[in-house]
Amino acid sequence: MKFAIGLMIAGIAISWPGRILAHHSFDAEYDAKKPIELKGVVTKLEWTNPHVRFYVDVKDAKGVVTSWDLELMSVNTLTRAGWTRTSLKIGDEVTVNAFLAKDGSHRANARGSVTLADGRKVFAGDPPTGGIPNTR
Amino acid sequence: MERRFIASMAAAAALPGLLVLTQSSTTAQAPRPPQAAAAPTPRLPNGHPDLSGVLMGGGGIAERNLKPGEAIVLLPEAKKLMDSRQSKDDPEANCLPTGVPRMNPYPWRMVQTPTHSSESHIFVLFEGNIHSYRQIFMDGRPHPPDPDPTWYGHSTGRWEGDTLVVDTVGYNDKFWFDFDGHPHTTQLHTVERFTRTDANTLKWEITIEDPGAYAKPFTVQTQARYEPTWELMEYICNENNTNVTHIVGPARAPGSSSQ
Repeated sequence: MKFAIGLMIAGIAISWPGRILAHHSFDAEYDAKKPIELKGVVTKLEWTNPHVRFYVDVKDAKGVVTSWDLELMSVNTLTRAGWTRTSLKIGDEVTVNAFLAKDGSHRANARGSVTLADGRKVFAGDPPTGGIPNTR
Repeated sequence: MERRFIASMAAAAALPGLLVLTQSSTTAQAPRPPQAAAAPTPRLPNGHPDLSGVLMGGGGIAERNLKPGEAIVLLPEAKKLMDSRQSKDDPEANCLPTGVPRMNPYPWRMVQTPTHSSESHIFVLFEGNIHSYRQIFMDGRPHPPDPDPTWYGHSTGRWEGDTLVVDTVGYNDKFWFDFDGHPHTTQLHTVERFTRTDANTLKWEITIEDPGAYAKPFTVQTQARYEPTWELMEYICNENNTNVTHIVGPARAPGSSSQ
């Protein structure tokens, strides 16, 4: 039971209002109603602010490869949550649950989940806001 | 429009959250666990509260933080301006300062500079949005008569009992109060009241007065939390800000009830 409650708390913590987590409004760039699952290979990781970005080559049924530009939180937020610049590596096979950019480009916000081939999830979790609702 | 991103994430996020809680890292700066009773407010040798430290949270003009009985009432011109604003033009999204009292989801540090005889300055160092700072003059000087408008204005501070009262004028009209694009003019005058009620808590009350944009002054009550185990980190917003060209739509959500 305690385990289940822990899961719930973790879930609630992560689901903190999206607009506070970035230096721009999530809603202004991404569509929370357009989730997408992408499977492919990591080609680049930019461990930078204001957002960490990584790029994934995704091959469709016809063999056509598309490079996706995927956004994470900031270096600072991910670092405080315990992640590092080597948590994801070039060549890693990943499954990404993301939310599409509103402008139709091959960009998405990867806040859903990033799962490695062995099932481990990286960059998941709530930024340590100290439990205080930041006022955007 | 779904401005908040809550329900859809809760279920999916539960498992990753657990993984984060169980991983270990030397760089992790996890929030402190809640304490039964916080230590008392620390004090300077002169008896004034010591506000120094790394803080998280506070600031902003969100309606949920309005002091009871108060309201944010825009003048017609200000409402027109707000309605015209596009998210891509938000200075914050463009890595420009957020002014006062808007904050980012990053920590900030209060630095007091007491000398042997008096307190000279208080600096507020921001990790986000652009590594900027505020300086608050504590030496009793007045505001200059006609200051050049700036992002953080001209701030003077004084103690009222255990509360630091910061009076600021001389703001430019460029920063937005929030993602919704609440505006202000160069007539903006803020009065902030900072009270460290215990070792962990900084209450931060902000009165916004701007006869050029709002029908009457309003006061918001917020609070920040001291994070004694945290340090500020580098955060260079302009390093890889690829977002602006992809941001679409009005700042204020259609159907938003905010004034």
